[in-house]
Formats: sequence, structure tokens, C-alpha cells
Amino acid sequence: MLKLTIDGTEVQVAPGTNLVEAAATIGIDIPTYCYHPGLSVVGQCRICFVEVEGMPRLVTACSTEARDGMVVLTASPRVKDARAAVMEFLLENHPLDCPVCDQAGECFLQDYSVEHGLDTTHMVDIRRTFPGLERRLIGPHVVQNQNRCIHCTRCVRFTQEISETHDLTMKSRGNHSYIDTFDGGPFDNPWSACAADVCPVGALTVKEFRFRARVWHLEDTESICPGCSIGCNVTVGHLDREVHRFLPRHNAEVNGWWMCDYGRCLAQGIEERDVARPAARSGGELRPIAWSEAVPMLVELLQSRPAARVVASANLSNEVLYLVKKVLVGQLGLEVVVPVDRGRPRRIKNGHGQWIDSVDAHPNSGGARLLGLPLVDAGQLARFVGAANGPLLMLDERAHPWLASDEAAATLAARTVAVFARCETVLTRSASLLLPAASWVETEGTYTSSTGRVQLARAAFTPGAQAWPAWRLLHGLQAALGIPSDPDARPERLFAELTATVPAFTGMTYRGLARQPGLPVAAEVSDVG
Amino acid sequence: MMDHARTAPLTVAPPEAVAEVRFDAAMEAQIADVLTRYPNPQAALLPVLWLCQERWGWISTGITRTVATRLGLSPAFIEGVLTFYTMYQLQPPGRYLLQVCSTLSCQLCGTGELVGHLKQRLGIDFGETTPDGRFTLVDVQCLGACGEAPVVQINNDYYTELTVERLDALLDRFE
Amino acid sequence: MEPILLRARGTKNSRSIAAYRSAGGYRAIAKALKMEPAAVIAEVKASGLRGRGGAGFPTGVKWGFVPKDSPKPKYLICNADESEPGTFKDREIIHVDPHMLIEGIAISSHAIGANVAYIYIRGEFHAEALMLEAAIAEAAGAGFLGKNILGSGFDLEVHVHRGAGAYICGEETALIESLEGKRGLPRLKPPFPAVVGLFGCPTVVNNVETLACVPHILERGGAWYAAIGTERSTGPKLFSVSGHVNRPGVYEVAMGVSFREIIDGLCGGVRGGRALKAFIPGGSSCPVLPADKVDIGCDFESVAAAGSMLGSGGLIVMDETVDMVWALENLLTFYAHESCGQCTPCREGSDWALDVVRRIRRGFGRPQDLETLERIARFASQGMTICPLGDAFCEPIKSFLKHFGHEFEAAIAAAQPLPAAKTPVLPLRSGHGWYGS
Repeated sequence: MLKLTIDGTEVQVAPGTNLVEAAATIGIDIPTYCYHPGLSVVGQCRICFVEVEGMPRLVTACSTEARDGMVVLTASPRVKDARAAVMEFLLENHPLDCPVCDQAGECFLQDYSVEHGLDTTHMVDIRRTFPGLERRLIGPHVVQNQNRCIHCTRCVRFTQEISETHDLTMKSRGNHSYIDTFDGGPFDNPWSACAADVCPVGALTVKEFRFRARVWHLEDTESICPGCSIGCNVTVGHLDREVHRFLPRHNAEVNGWWMCDYGRCLAQGIEERDVARPAARSGGELRPIAWSEAVPMLVELLQSRPAARVVASANLSNEVLYLVKKVLVGQLGLEVVVPVDRGRPRRIKNGHGQWIDSVDAHPNSGGARLLGLPLVDAGQLARFVGAANGPLLMLDERAHPWLASDEAAATLAARTVAVFARCETVLTRSASLLLPAASWVETEGTYTSSTGRVQLARAAFTPGAQAWPAWRLLHGLQAALGIPSDPDARPERLFAELTATVPAFTGMTYRGLARQPGLPVAAEVSDVG
Repeated sequence: MMDHARTAPLTVAPPEAVAEVRFDAAMEAQIADVLTRYPNPQAALLPVLWLCQERWGWISTGITRTVATRLGLSPAFIEGVLTFYTMYQLQPPGRYLLQVCSTLSCQLCGTGELVGHLKQRLGIDFGETTPDGRFTLVDVQCLGACGEAPVVQINNDYYTELTVERLDALLDRFE
Repeated sequence: MEPILLRARGTKNSRSIAAYRSAGGYRAIAKALKMEPAAVIAEVKASGLRGRGGAGFPTGVKWGFVPKDSPKPKYLICNADESEPGTFKDREIIHVDPHMLIEGIAISSHAIGANVAYIYIRGEFHAEALMLEAAIAEAAGAGFLGKNILGSGFDLEVHVHRGAGAYICGEETALIESLEGKRGLPRLKPPFPAVVGLFGCPTVVNNVETLACVPHILERGGAWYAAIGTERSTGPKLFSVSGHVNRPGVYEVAMGVSFREIIDGLCGGVRGGRALKAFIPGGSSCPVLPADKVDIGCDFESVAAAGSMLGSGGLIVMDETVDMVWALENLLTFYAHESCGQCTPCREGSDWALDVVRRIRRGFGRPQDLETLERIARFASQGMTICPLGDAFCEPIKSFLKHFGHEFEAAIAAAQPLPAAKTPVLPLRSGHGWYGS
């Protein structure tokens, strides 16, 4: 470790740490635009100037490594003057269109203007504009307004160093330079919206989030992306029970600072529901019923002969799958399968620069595997459903794409099927018993990624309408069946039960998960067969 | 003073001819020769772009795409490079590219008068090409021949110590 | 002083290897190859040779920074990207005596242990690139380049690499980026090129004129070279003289002679018999000096003492008719055009300063404009940017305001109020900054 002094405070950092990170360890926030911890250092925005004793000139903190005995001043008059000047240079050509800029509220220019800028300007001349590059949709997810660009090149470096797609570039030079793609073609790579994430200003914004909400009104909830087995950490931005966006949340071991566009777009409508309350079919019509009626009906269905079969889901949390195993398999002796769809290949670069590939399209096939539940593919699922003599319970209407197929509809048409669902699908249309399920963002739980990390997803808000989270349904079943169970069941306590029972999870605590970016499981989580 | 033989006109490929480009054996041989000079293909980018410009007169997006494939670079990266430098022509120029030095020493020695005359005689402004495709007029920054100001570079050749009369005589010769 | 670098100027076929050899050329390489590299470096250090590209850094010291024990290949780059307005001396060397440069490159490569050297020449110098290629072919044919040069076991390939129009590529790390096939953006330093340069390998970048001095130093000794010029500014220096003089051109003088001797003596005085108003001693990025400084000596120290820099020796002479507001506008047009756009202060400041000065020149100045210009000049220079281009446009601003501030004040005093109508930003290549436009 190196010892240096920053603004009079002694700091210890590892060799190779730059002054921005060193200062951050004692809560000193050195302003940065071009510096991003996930990207290479270019030192070109010049806002992070600090004074180092013994150096005649100011140095950029991002490009200066801490050295033993260094004495650093981050707020000396010289530093403040230089930062104010850089701010003035940056704002000289900036359109200052904050009221209609979607970056407002999370814009570095705004924040640093208050902290480091002047309250006036010497600028009376004509501002630079880039006709044709204002409010231009440059790809499926990214909108460009070049007038606002501060030329930090974070987006370009993202496409060079992280996505490795090399599809953005700085064109022309000097004050006329601008961000563009080859021949102005679409900026379309699987992670394109991350280029907007790294944009410190409103030059690149995400199409899907534009003008949906002012960010300072949003509430943030820490969650996990449900899109595949990688388990990218996300922040759910929501307001008044409506989800407005997923943003990648830093986790060096999983997704670095990044997430894919597919996962990001899952935020759209993730909380919307078609199935609002329990309903039972009688005479061909679905009739609304109360949960108090629905649970006994489900109990009856599960206890009927020939025995019911259960299609669980690799989209359900560890706690839910634990209850599936304990109650449905253990207590009722039912046959349960967890369908797994490989989905499209997805990958993300972690914070160490390594690619992580998805193995399937589910956030928790790892958990299902550790719990010893049988994983099945589309063919096995079809046979499992087709061979059912008794009723069926579907714990997730979107457990597998096969469930939305015509073949599934035909197979299920003549059967008694209970469906726990949020959205209307072919399954729900033929369901005998329809139960409203909480959405992803309304459910708290832990998920085991394909790389064997157990991660916690918080609920953004309570379930809407009369929906129940899956753990509550299974816990309700337990009670109705007269099985002794925890009267105060909730995910945290269920997880504790799980860790006490399933060796792979031994030693983990819910609090530990909440504090840390996930924990690796003890056992191997191998590929799906 | 200039002692050039007559400046050769540029070979300028029309856009449709370079929408898609394949390098022929001669070009491939030249590229292979260039590649021997550097430890990696990226370093050959500027020389290869020069070869293309000599061949086709300008760098179309089709040429960029082919260069990208040949050198294993992204076409967006190459466009970033192309637009950083001022000498790569991204639109087809006229057969004679009149590059008038506009920096201090040349202006002290009367480039302004030359430019006024050129614009009037050719009927075009900077950045424009005469309708017959003969001349493109551009102003450039210091050409590094300030002692022989005023200087105009026509295609590859420097014409120095120019006067309106000398320039007129020159332009008359160019077809 | 006897001509050294331009000794062949005016002689027949001076570019040919035969002419160069009959004048004694390629004897120094034979001598140098019999010496240890360290001894060659010592000789160059003894000569006091300082880089002729503009910064004036001691050449032998620069060579000494190359790590001896690095397992990586080492490169020598000859910087022939001569782009500083007012500078055209390197072009003259290539026109007159390219073999002098080739020999200098060979000796220097031996000194630093490079087996590959590149000559990075500005794209506009097409004819000069061909001259160099011809000279390289001749030298290789005569055994002064290639494998096992003169039986010494030393190999050297020299390649000409053309730029494509970017002033910034004269900055050594931007040049390296450009040579690697990228946009010519200066690199953060450290690491310096001597340690991490071209292709990540130790690299020395030297100016054409610097390298052309090397054969003479080796042949006649560092002490001989050091005896020319002043104590700390040794050797002959090429001055490129342009602007309002009767005989502009490249002149070789011993450092220390006065600018008056150059302007009035060598160049035949100011054109049209007019009075001298100002001169820029070292290329357009060096501070302008008023006529009353014309008696200072043309060496690094004297010019620095007078408040300017010797730079690359590009002497631009302006007579009494020059409107200094216009002259600054012209220079700022150049620097705004040539800023690479990386660093905020330079990218924004160069264009902003140009806008302000252009507005003053067009008769719309405001009293606070001079304060704005001073503020820009203060905060875009002195290490506020990665490379010295910030200083390159700020030094003219500071010096024009210092010595000719009254012309700016007069223009502002006579100005009209700002017009309400706005005109759009002009694109990169359009013709602005024209006298009278």
C-alpha cells in the first residue's frame, strides 16, 4: 500500500490507483467527465485538475497515479480557477437547453456547474451547432444531440473497449468534431444503450426512457435483470408504481457497469398486468373469485387423482423453488419439471474485461439445478405435459416459449390447468383456475446465475391488484394443506430455511447478499444438458 | 519558382464506380509491399488510403469498407481517421484540385488577390467544383513554403510566387 | 559563416548520392559505425545540439533516455511534418541535400539501437517524399542502408511515411499515433516516447534539421560544433524568413547573430522600403515581437529573454501596413483549424478566441473582449492541455495584446453594437479569415 496526503488527510491506496479513486476513498469527489472507471484513461476533458506538491503545473487526477509521499490539493485556489475555466470552456458552446434535456438531473455539466463553475460567462458569440445531428435517432435505442456533446469520447471508447463493436467514432477534428457511425448507419449493437449511460451529458440518451420522467422524481430499487442466466445487476427506476427504466448497476464480477439492450428493454411494461384477480372457469366463462376461494380450489386440484403435474419455472427465485421442492415434491409427491429455454445467446463484459456468456434465457436455472429439480427442454416439456393424466399447475405462464405455442394450446385444451400468471397468453385463455402473479419488480427474492452467484433482487413496490408473489402462493398452500410452516414467512426467512437445508447455499445470509454484489455458491453450477 | 512538368489531371472515379470496390492484383501487390514496412496492418492505413486516393481520386464509403476488410479495421474507425486529416477527399474532386494556402505569410504576400481572381474566374467558392469537373477550389492551412509565397498546390505540385497573370496562364493549360 | 547544412545549395545535382559523397558525405557513418553507440551519444551531447523542431531539447540527452536493456525493438522517427506557419527549412534540406538527412538518420539509429526508422513527412510534401524515397534507394544501393551496413553488422531500414494534412502530427506523440494509423491525437505523458513510443516500443523522434546536423558532428567533432553559435545555443541554425522582406527564403546562420542582420542583411530589408512593424521569430506559435526588438540575437536564450521563443526558426516579418487584429485572426484561424479537439481548453478556446478576434476585426468588438481573450489565453496554456497546441494559440494572443493592444482597443472603440442577427458556425474547410472578407 502507498501512503499519500490528500487535502491534509492521509490516504492508503494500492499501487496503480489514480488520484480520482484515491480521493474517493476519503469521500473527496474530484469532478470527471472523460474518466470512467470501466474505460481507458484519456485525460482530455481537463476538469479533474489537482495540485501536487513539487509539480509546477496542475495535473489531471485521472491520469496521475498515486505515489508514496505525494501531497495533493484538490481544492486550492489554483485548482478552483482552472476548473472554473474548464467549465466555462465546456459551457461556451453548450446549448444550455436543460429544461428540454432528458439528461437533466443526472447531468455532470449541471452538477459541476453548481460546484465548480462560474456564475457568469464571458461568452457573447454564436454557439456552435451541428445541423442535422440534433435529436437524431442513431440506432434502435439511442438518440443523439451533438450540440450537447462535450467530446469526452466515453461512448467511442465504450464501443472500442467494451462492446468491441467499434461502431462509434469521432469524426472531423477540433471544435467541429462530432460523434457518428460509419456512413451515418444505424448504431445497433447489443449493448448500444450503454453508450448513452456513459455519456455524462445529454448528447446520447436512451430512446425508451426519454421524457418518461424527470429522474429526480424516480425511486431506485436494486434488482437483477430477468433476461438471461447472467444476472446483470440493475437499478429499477420507477415512479408511482410504474417502471421507467433499468440501468446497469455496477458489479465487477458479473456485468461491470454494463447491460445489454435486450435486458434493458425488459423494463418496458414489466409491471403491467392482464391478470388482476383470481378467477375460476365455470361453463366456459372465467368468473372472478376471491383468494380465499382460490386457494382451496388449488389444494383440491393438487390432491386430485390421477395426480397433478407441476410446471415450475427457472424464472422463479431460489426461495420459491425451495418451496416447490419442499411442498409440491416433498409433501405432495407431485412430479415437477423446470423448463429451460436456451434463448438467444447473450453476453456481457464484466468489470475485469472478461466476457460472460449466458447459458439459457432464465435468471435462476442455476438455483433450480442446485435444488435438484429436473430441468427439461421443449421436447421433454411437451411430453411431460402431454403425458399428464391429471390436472396441471403452471407456476409461470412464461416459463418456456413452448407454452405459447399452438402445440401447447392444443395439448392443454382438454385439460384442467391452474395458471399462476401476470399476462394473458394461450395458457391463461384456457385456464380452469387463473391466479394473479406478482411481476418481477413486485417480488423480492434471490437468484442463482449461471456462473453460480446468488444475488438479491429487491421489490420495487408491492404487488398490484390482487396479485401474490409466488412464495406467498406456495406458503398459502402449505397452510391450507395443514403442513407446519413459518407463520412469518417472507423471502428473508425462507432464504434462511433454504441455507439451512441446501448445502450449496450454506453460510449465506440475506443481509450478506444485501451488502455484497452477490455471493458465489459452494457447489458447481454446470451447463444445462 | 516552379519547374514542374505539366501537372497531371487527377483520375476521379464517379461515385457509382466506387460504390463497391475490389482491389485488383496490382493494388494487392502495392498493399502487400506497404504492409512489409510495419509490424501491424493498422499502421498501413494512411499509406493504403493514399494508394486508393491515387487510384480513384477520392475515398468513397465503398472504398472505406474494402480497406476496412483488407486491414481488419472497423469502417467507422477508418472514417474517424479519414475525417481527421484534411487531404483525403471524401467527395469526388475536380481534375485539378486548387489548394490555396491561406495562412499568414502567404496572405502577407497577396494571396487575397489571387483568391478573389480565382473565385471570379472559376465562378465557384471554396469547397466547390466547377460544373465541368475541371477545378475544385479549397483553402488550406500553411503549406510550408512560406518563403515562396503566395503558394497554391495543384494536385501534388506546388506552384509558388504566383501572380494573377501567372495563375491565369497556368489555368489555361489545364484541361 | 561557412554554410554547413546548406553547403550544397546551388550546386549541380545536389540531391544525388554522387554529389553528396564528393562533398565528403557518408564518411561520418563509417566513423560512427566503428564507435560504440554510447560514444556517438556522448559526441552529440558534447556538441550541445538542441532539437530544431521547436522545443530546443538537447538531442543527446533525449537519446540517452532510451532504455539500453529493453528487449523491444527501438525506432527512430524523423519528423518531417514541417507545418508551423513560417517554417520551411526542412523542405529546403530535402530539396538540397536529402542524403545528409539519410546519413544523420543512419548514425542516430545506430546510436539508439534502432533497426527501423521512419521519415514521417507531411502529406502535402509529395515531391519531397519522392526525393527522399529516391535518396533512400540510392543509399541502400551504395550499402549505407539495409543489412550489415559497411560490414559493421548494423542493419537499418528506412521508410517514408506520408501524413495526410494535420498540423498536430508535428507533435511527437500525435505523430506516433498517426504513424500507427490513427487520428493524430497527442498522448498523455508520461510515459514518454523514449520509453513507450511507436508500437509501444522505445522511440526517438527528431526533426529533419536536427538529424542533418548529426553527420557533421560525428565527422568534425562535438567540440567543433559547439564552437559555432553561442554558449548554450550551439551550431548553425536555419532560419526560414517569410513575409514582408525583399529576399525571403532559408538562411543558415550561426546562432546569436541579430534579427536585424537577418532581415536587413541577408534578406535585403523590408519590402518596398517600408518600416518594420513586428516579427515573429520562431514560427507562428511564438510570441510576436515589436520592431524595437530586432537587434536581439537569434539564439534560444536571447529570444527567450526578449519574451519570445526561437521555436523552429520561422521568422515572419510584418511591415507597418499590417493590421495586427487581422494578423491575429489569421493565426487563430490556423490554430482553431488545427486543434485536434481532445482537450477542452484548446478545442473550445481556440475557436472562441477566433470568434472574438474576428468580431473585433469586423467592427463589432466589445470593451470586455480583451479580458475574455486574456482569460482564454491564460486558461488554455501552461499545462492546461495535453500538448503544447494550447500554448501555440495562446502565446500569439498574449503577445499581440501586449505589444499591439492599442490596435485592438482602437478597433473596439470604433465598433458598432453587436448585430442582433446571428450567422451559423462555418464548416471546417470554408474560407473564413480572409483579408477584407
